[in-house]
Amino acid sequence: MSKEDEIDDRGFKRDLLASLPNLRAFAVSLTGRHDKADDLVQDTIMKAWANQSSFTAGTNMRAWLFTILRNEFYSQMRKRGREVQDSDGLFSERFSVHPEQYGRLDLQDFRKALDKLPDDQREAIILVGAAGFAYEEAATICGCAVGTIKSRVSRARTRLQELLGVSGEGDFGPDPDHAAITARAFGS
Amino acid sequence: MPEISQQAARVMSEEEDRKKDDMTTIQPHEVRPGAVQPNASISRKLREFYDAVQEEGIPDRFLDLLERLEQAERNAKPVKVK
Repeated sequence: MSKEDEIDDRGFKRDLLASLPNLRAFAVSLTGRHDKADDLVQDTIMKAWANQSSFTAGTNMRAWLFTILRNEFYSQMRKRGREVQDSDGLFSERFSVHPEQYGRLDLQDFRKALDKLPDDQREAIILVGAAGFAYEEAATICGCAVGTIKSRVSRARTRLQELLGVSGEGDFGPDPDHAAITARAFGS
Repeated sequence: MPEISQQAARVMSEEEDRKKDDMTTIQPHEVRPGAVQPNASISRKLREFYDAVQEEGIPDRFLDLLERLEQAERNAKPVKVK
């Protein structure tokens, strides 16, 4: 191994580490559980490490890692068959382990609503709305057209609004004063 | 009063059309008086949830794993198939 390769290796590990918290959050979003998510992240790290040579230095490592994790997730699901999802039981218990992080009731409700989305819609809204990818990058990661991602994100938003009872008629918002100002501004 | 019920029927049918549109097209950026866009609330919650996981940091098991992978590579120096 040349000196140059060693430097590349260190850069690879550094970039991989930098992407891990985001990658792990994506895994938790996909699996709905921390223990499964961490197993998935571990498999992804090993796959990524073994395939270092196929990664082009200077390109988007985060997108590369997300693609590996996503493929791993779906191939494991196909192998095992769809396991019964326990979005209300085990999951809630798990979340109560971290009350400081998930203590807010509405965040737990949100998590449950997210779990009710079809897989393709959930991953689309997570990639674009939380993980920080552009529509084009999300499309590459999911192996579909940009328009497909856009419509999945749109459907996911609509479904989440329905599930969370966000009607758009004042259930939420900054504060009543702000809403009043907005209302005046629109002349109603 | 037939007038009112007709009006109500029209409003309901418009509401139905709107819902159908929402399911099939990109959400229009409509802002209704006195309300913030529902999407703003959904997006904020989504990021809140995601960030909470991100802020947990990197579990030790992954640092150990990378350490072991590096060590194994140093020891074995396998011939890489490029």
